[in-house]
Amino acid sequence: MQKIISAIVADIGKVLLGKEHQVKLALACLLSRGHLLIEDLPGMGKTTLAHALAQVLGLSYKRVQFTSDMLPADILGVSIFERDSGEFRFHEGPVFSQLLLADEINRSSPKTQSALLEAMEERQVSIDGETRRLPEPFFVIATQNPLHQSGTFALPESQLDRFLMRISLGYPTREAERALFQGVDPRAQLQRLKPRVDIAALQKMQGLVGQVKASDSLLDYVERLVLHTRQSPECAVGLSPRGALALLHAARAWALIHGRGHLLPEDIQAVLPTVAGHRLQGEGGDGSQLVERLMHQVDVIAA
Amino acid sequence: MESSERLPRESLLWIFAAQFAALLPQFAILPLWIVGAWGFAVYWRLEVFRGRRDLPGRQVKLLAVLLSVAGLALSYRQWFALEPMVALLAVSFTLKNLELANRRDAFLSLLLSYFVAATLFVFEQTIPYAVYGVACVLIITAALAAQMGSHSAGPRRALGLSVRLLAQAVPLMVVLFIAAPRLGPLWAVPQNSDGASTGISDSMSPGDFSELSQSDDPALRIAFDGPVPPPEQRYWRGLVYSDFDGRRWSQGTGVDHREGGRVYWRASGRALPEVGPRYRYRVIQEATNSPWLFAMARPDSTTDGVGETADDRLLKRKPVYSRFAYEVRSWPRETFSDVAPLTDFERRRNLQLPPGGNERTRRWAASFRDSGLDAEGISRRILQFYNRSFVYTLKPPALGGDTVDEFLFGTQQGFCEHFAGSYVFAMRAAGVPARVVAGYQGGEWVAQEEYLLVRQYDAHAWAEIWTRERGWQRVDPTAAVSPERIREGLQRAAADEFMQDSLLPLHRISFLKQLRLEWDMINYRWYRAVIGFDSEQQEDVLQQLLGEISPLRLAILLLLPLAAVLLGVLVWLWWSGRGRRAPLSSRLYRRFCRRLARAGLERRPGETPRDFARRVREQRPQLGPMAARITAAFEKAAYGDDPAAEKQLRRLLNRFQLSKIK
Repeated sequence: MQKIISAIVADIGKVLLGKEHQVKLALACLLSRGHLLIEDLPGMGKTTLAHALAQVLGLSYKRVQFTSDMLPADILGVSIFERDSGEFRFHEGPVFSQLLLADEINRSSPKTQSALLEAMEERQVSIDGETRRLPEPFFVIATQNPLHQSGTFALPESQLDRFLMRISLGYPTREAERALFQGVDPRAQLQRLKPRVDIAALQKMQGLVGQVKASDSLLDYVERLVLHTRQSPECAVGLSPRGALALLHAARAWALIHGRGHLLPEDIQAVLPTVAGHRLQGEGGDGSQLVERLMHQVDVIAA
Repeated sequence: MESSERLPRESLLWIFAAQFAALLPQFAILPLWIVGAWGFAVYWRLEVFRGRRDLPGRQVKLLAVLLSVAGLALSYRQWFALEPMVALLAVSFTLKNLELANRRDAFLSLLLSYFVAATLFVFEQTIPYAVYGVACVLIITAALAAQMGSHSAGPRRALGLSVRLLAQAVPLMVVLFIAAPRLGPLWAVPQNSDGASTGISDSMSPGDFSELSQSDDPALRIAFDGPVPPPEQRYWRGLVYSDFDGRRWSQGTGVDHREGGRVYWRASGRALPEVGPRYRYRVIQEATNSPWLFAMARPDSTTDGVGETADDRLLKRKPVYSRFAYEVRSWPRETFSDVAPLTDFERRRNLQLPPGGNERTRRWAASFRDSGLDAEGISRRILQFYNRSFVYTLKPPALGGDTVDEFLFGTQQGFCEHFAGSYVFAMRAAGVPARVVAGYQGGEWVAQEEYLLVRQYDAHAWAEIWTRERGWQRVDPTAAVSPERIREGLQRAAADEFMQDSLLPLHRISFLKQLRLEWDMINYRWYRAVIGFDSEQQEDVLQQLLGEISPLRLAILLLLPLAAVLLGVLVWLWWSGRGRRAPLSSRLYRRFCRRLARAGLERRPGETPRDFARRVREQRPQLGPMAARITAAFEKAAYGDDPAAEKQLRRLLNRFQLSKIK
C-alpha cells in the first residue's frame, strides 16, 4: 500500500520535477474524493499534473478548455436526434470521464460554471429529465489563472467551497529546472507512464481514508483552529462546518499517504493552507496569510 | 434634518425621562417659568422629531437665551447665590434640548443630568431625597445605556443594565465614602438668606411661642456622652433678650456678633473651670437660617466655626442653613466659684425699661424693693403671686397697650413668654438685673437610639436674674404656674389645647406617634452615619480601621478591596475557564516543554511536537534522542490512543531531569 503510493508519487515526479508536495496534495485530494482547484500562471505544469495523475491511476482523462461562449451542454452532453434509429440519443459530454481537467474555469459564464460545479457536487447530471450517474471515481481538476482577470467570471466564494483544496504549483527550484532542461521531454515521459493501480484498488484506498483514526486530542486541535477562525477579528468569515469536515478528511488522506493509521497535527497543518486558504476571508481578501498566522497562533497542544 | 434623525425615538424619550427625573424636585424650588421653558423645549424637540419643525435657528436660540437670562434676573435679584446658580444650570440644561441633534448631544445632556440631579442635595439631604437621588441616577444611567441602540432601549433591558452597573459601583462608592478626603468648600456660594427662619427668632412678642407650639417638627437631636441631665435641667439656651420696648423683647444693640458683640471663637478664648464638664453631648440642629445654637449653660464647643458669647450662648459664624452638628461640653453655673462683677454697661442694659407704661407693675415692684427685700426675696414674692391665681394656657386673651399690667392684674392667663416677660419686667422695676432667655426646654428621650428629641413645641422662654453672690441664675416663672410643663413637657401641661389647630389630630393616635418616632430615629441614624460623616468622623473611622492614619495604611485600605475584587474576578475566570481539563498526555507533554523552555528551547504555539523535536535535535544534539523518544511516546498517547504510551511518557519524563539538560 505504502509502496504503491510511493511509486505513484515517484512516477509523477518524473514528469513534474521537484513538486513532490503538490503531487501528494493532489493525490490526497483525490483519495478523499474531493476536487482540486489549481491557481497558477500558464505553463507551470497544471495540465501535466492532471494528465500524469490520470495516467498513473489508470483513469479516463478529458480536458476542457473553458471559454466565455461555452454552454452547459458543451460539458454535460446533449441529446441528438438520430435519423437512422429515429430517436434521440444522448451524447455524453466531457464530464463523463474519471478525471476531468477544466482549464481556466473562470473564463466561462457563471451558468456553465455552475453546471460543472453541480455535477461535481452531486456526481450525477440531469438532462432531459433523465438522471445519469457520472463514472466512479470522479475527479475534477479545475485551473484558474490568477492574473489577467479581464473578461473572466471569478468563482464566487460559495463555488470555491466546492473544491476540497486549492493549490498553486509555483516555479520549480533551480535544480528541478536544470534537470528539466537536461532531461527528456516531459511529454514523452508522460506517454510512457503506466498505471500503477486499477480502479478497484483506487476505490479501496479511498475507503481506507475514512478509517484513519482521529484522537480526542487531535479533534481538540481542529476545534481550536476552527474556533479561532470564527472568533479572531482578523477573519471576516470563519471556517464552516463543511470546511472543518473537509480539513479532517483531507488530513486523513494525507496521513494515509504517509502510512499512518491515525492523524497527527502535522497532517492537519500540511493540508490546512490548501483546504482553508480559499475558504477564509480576511481584511485583505486572501486567506493564505491568514492561514499562516492561524497555524502560528493556535497551540497544537491543549492547555 | 438629517442630523436630527440620528436620534431615534426611544433615545429621545429616554433623554426626556432622565431630564424630568433630574428636574422634578427642582421644579418645587425654582421659579415656575422654568418648568414652562422645559416643557416648551421638549415640545419643540418632539415636533422636530415628527418632522413638523426644524431645529431652531441661531436667532431663535439667541432669543431663548436672552429671555431666560432676563427671567433669571427678574426672578433673582442677586446673582452670586446658590439658587440663581442652580436655576441657571437648570435653564441651560433645558435649552440644550433645542439643539439636541446627534448622539454626542444626547451624551452631553445626560451627563449634565447627573450634575443637575446632584444639585438637589444642596437643598435637601434627607432620606426621601437620597432615595430619589438614587432613583434619578438609575434612570439617567438607563437612558445612557439606551443610547446604544434600539436593541438596548427596551425599558427592562436598559434599567436592568443600569441596576447592574450601579450595583457594581456600590463597593467603590463605599470605599470612596469612607476614604475620600472631606475637603472644605473651595468657594463659598452664599445660600439664600431670605428664607424665613424657623424656630425661635431674635425677638419675642406676645404670641410668638404659642405659634411655635403648633409645630411638632424636630428642632434638635441631642446625644449624650455620659450622664443625661434630668428633665428639670434640660434648658437649651439659644437667645438672650435684654431689650424691652414695652411690647417686644429683643437682643438689643451690640449683642449680636454681627454688630460687634464679643464672641470667643476659639476654645482657649475663655478660661474654663478646672473640674471637668458635667455634660458632654452632640447636638444635631435642624436648619434655622439663623446663627444661634442651643446648649445648656455654661457651654463650650470645640467644633469649628462655633463660638461662645459673653452671655453663655453658642453661636455659629454662618447661619445654620442645613442640618448642623456640634459638640458641646457644659458646666453648671455653680462650678464657677468666682463671680465676676457686673459691668456698668451690663447693669444698665439688664435694668433697662421703656420710659413709660405699665405703671402699676412698676409701683408694685417698687414696693417690694422699698420693703427691704433682697433679690431672691423679691423673686420669691413674684413667683408666689404667679402661683396663686395664674393660669397656664396656650390661648391667652389678647393684650392691649400696657401688656405687663394687663397680664399681671387683668387677664392672668398666659404662656411662657408672658410669664418670663412680666417677671423680668417686674424684677427690673424692683432694681434687680434680669433678662429673658429663649430656647427649648425638655425633649423626648428616645430610648432605643439614646438621644433626646427636642421639637419646635418645646420652645420656651424663661428668665435669668443676677445676684452679687451667685451671679446669673435661672428662674423659670412658668414652673411656678405649671410645674408639669417643665417636668413632662407641653403636651401634658396643656393637654386640651395642645396642637388643637392642627388639621388632623394625629398626635392623639399613639400608633402614629410611635411611627413618627421610629421615622425620626431612622432620620437620626441617617444623619449621624451619612450626612454628618465629616472629616472628624472620617478620621475616627479610619483610626479604628487602620490604627494609625498614614499614607501607607490609607493606600492599603484603598487597594485592599480593589485587590480582593480583582482576585475574585481572577478566581472566577480561572474557575469558569477551567472547563474541561486538558488530557493527561497533553499535560505531561507541556511539562516537558516547560523544562525545555527553562533550558532556552521554547516551543512555539503552532509548532507540532515532531517539528519541535527536530529543532531540539538541531539546536541541542545531545537532547535529540530523548526528545525524539518523548515525542514519539506523546504522539502515540495523544493521537494513537495508546494507554500504555501514557505510562511510558510519564516514565520518560521522570527520567528526563532538568539537570541533564545543562
